[in-house]
Amino acid sequence: MMKLVELKNVRKSYRMGKVIVPALRDVSLQVTRGEFLAILGPSGSGKSTLLNIIGCLDRPDEGEVIIDGINVLKLRDEKLAEIRLKQVGFIFQFFNLLPRLTALENVELPLLLAGVDEKRARERAKHLLELVGLESRVNHRPFELSGGEQQRVAIARALVNNPKIVLADEPTGNLDTRSGEEIIQLMKKLNSKLKQTFIVVTHDRKIASIANRIIYLRDGMIVGEKYRR
Amino acid sequence: MKAKKLAGLAWKNLKQRKLRTFLTILSISIGITTIVAVASLGEGFRGRVRERMEHGFELDVLLVFPGSFTAGLRDGFSSTDMEYIRNLSGVSLVTPLITIPITETINLTTENGTKLGAFTIGGINFGEMVVMFPNRFTLLSGNLPAEGETSAILLGYKAAFINGSQVAEIGDKIFLTILQPNATPPFLRINFSVAGILTRQGTLGITNFDYWAFISLDEAIELIRNKDKPYQLLIVKVSNVSLAEEVAKQIERHFPPYSVSVFVPTSFARQVDIILTLVEMFLIGIGSISLLVAGIGIMNIMMISVIERTREIGILKAIGAKNSTILLMFLAEALLMGVIGGVLGLFTGYFFSYGLANLLSTFIHRPTISGIRTPEVQEIRIIPNFSPLWMIIAFSFSITISLIFGLYPARKAAKLNPVEALRYE
Repeated sequence: MMKLVELKNVRKSYRMGKVIVPALRDVSLQVTRGEFLAILGPSGSGKSTLLNIIGCLDRPDEGEVIIDGINVLKLRDEKLAEIRLKQVGFIFQFFNLLPRLTALENVELPLLLAGVDEKRARERAKHLLELVGLESRVNHRPFELSGGEQQRVAIARALVNNPKIVLADEPTGNLDTRSGEEIIQLMKKLNSKLKQTFIVVTHDRKIASIANRIIYLRDGMIVGEKYRR
Repeated sequence: MKAKKLAGLAWKNLKQRKLRTFLTILSISIGITTIVAVASLGEGFRGRVRERMEHGFELDVLLVFPGSFTAGLRDGFSSTDMEYIRNLSGVSLVTPLITIPITETINLTTENGTKLGAFTIGGINFGEMVVMFPNRFTLLSGNLPAEGETSAILLGYKAAFINGSQVAEIGDKIFLTILQPNATPPFLRINFSVAGILTRQGTLGITNFDYWAFISLDEAIELIRNKDKPYQLLIVKVSNVSLAEEVAKQIERHFPPYSVSVFVPTSFARQVDIILTLVEMFLIGIGSISLLVAGIGIMNIMMISVIERTREIGILKAIGAKNSTILLMFLAEALLMGVIGGVLGLFTGYFFSYGLANLLSTFIHRPTISGIRTPEVQEIRIIPNFSPLWMIIAFSFSITISLIFGLYPARKAAKLNPVEALRYE
């Protein structure tokens, strides 16, 4: 199996006023293509920081981050943005859709940023919305959609540029149980059918139950690892 | 991301905050309005002044005075002096003027003793004078005296008409009386006959002949003491207006220092033009300050917008928007406000300047300049002159201002740390 993500001895700390708070201390991790990885841990354990570093939103203080064979630490900001655009899809706890845009416009935005022409972008965005079961809600704005629906739009947006990795930060954390269940099933379907790689930070045991592998994070370190299947 | 899409997104964002956007655009358009109105009024005013100057001064005519305005005027010019100037290249005509001011001892009266309205008696060559001032030296009635007709007198309009009533008619006898208190006889009296009356000039300027009475050169020389240098003024016509200053220089070079002064209407007109330009620039400068204030308004509103949309910027960055894309998105908003404000300002400036011109025109409706009320002056109307150049300058100024002041907030947005921006509540 090919390594899609490789982290070597990654350290990261934040400055909170005068205090330096370590978020990650010496994390090494490998993720293979098609994997569904769940990262579990109490809040403040560094889960989100880890996800942000894998997603090229943040840079580590030390260590190496290799995404699909490219050492991203040496890349300039503009290049990192391009990796986020084409290789990575983000799903957030609070959906993070742009409130003024419709579901369709939200989904097609990454395509337009990538320079895809409008007509093709529209078709592809519609296709993705169908895939997540929202074909009847394309012209609704985020505030007209339920939490579960908003998260589906976010998933469609994350997938629209055909990324190698989908990163999700507590994707069910802001949903009721039923909607959460639906989102989990959707991710599972996308993982098994499309062989889409997922890295999911969660508290949710149900998500953990569908993952191939679970890693446990505490105080910025990997303290345990569990394989399924 | 494509430019059209960026503009569309910017428009969407601006529409979201209608009042705020409207107020910012309003402030830009006020700035542009001011600049356009001041510039077009200034240009219109300048055009009017230039017109008046051309009306008041023949630009191809130089006036050569003996001596210096500051160091003192001297006796006059001799025939040799006049010949020298006549032979300069670029000079088409030189004609002399002898002036005899009407004072307590020199009087001009009709047969029945009524004083004429003249203030000065001028000794001229009638024929040359007509060539010199073809538009000005025109007859209301009578004829131009022929060469050598020494007993003829030509009256300016106001010399013949006092308060509208005619005191002298064609063919009337006019007495020029010179009192000589300590001599015998105690006075000299010379008879003239009115040959013609000049049309009314009206305009103010050096060549207003309304209050003059003209006699022949020969007769005038008889009346003055310094017969070697009789000419108090030489009037020079140049063959081409562009030669006026060069001819003036040649004349000044020929005579010893302070012995000649040349009045060059073109350079005078140019000075006035320069002064008007300076005044116009000053006013436009003041107008530009209002646009600068508008620019600060743009910056202010965009800073607020960047703070409000911090999270949105974080989202855009997370889904792969480059810093440069974010920068362009915000710049597009500033630019859009600049363009709309600019276009609006051009329109309001157009109407505003007409309104202002009307207002100003009513203020200067009935001027009484130095007590002389003239018919033409009453018709002064300032008509705004919209030059495309100023439109382009004003419009590009509004765009430049909006881009300059939009740049800082846009850069701030572009440089936001995505992780922190996403965490922003």
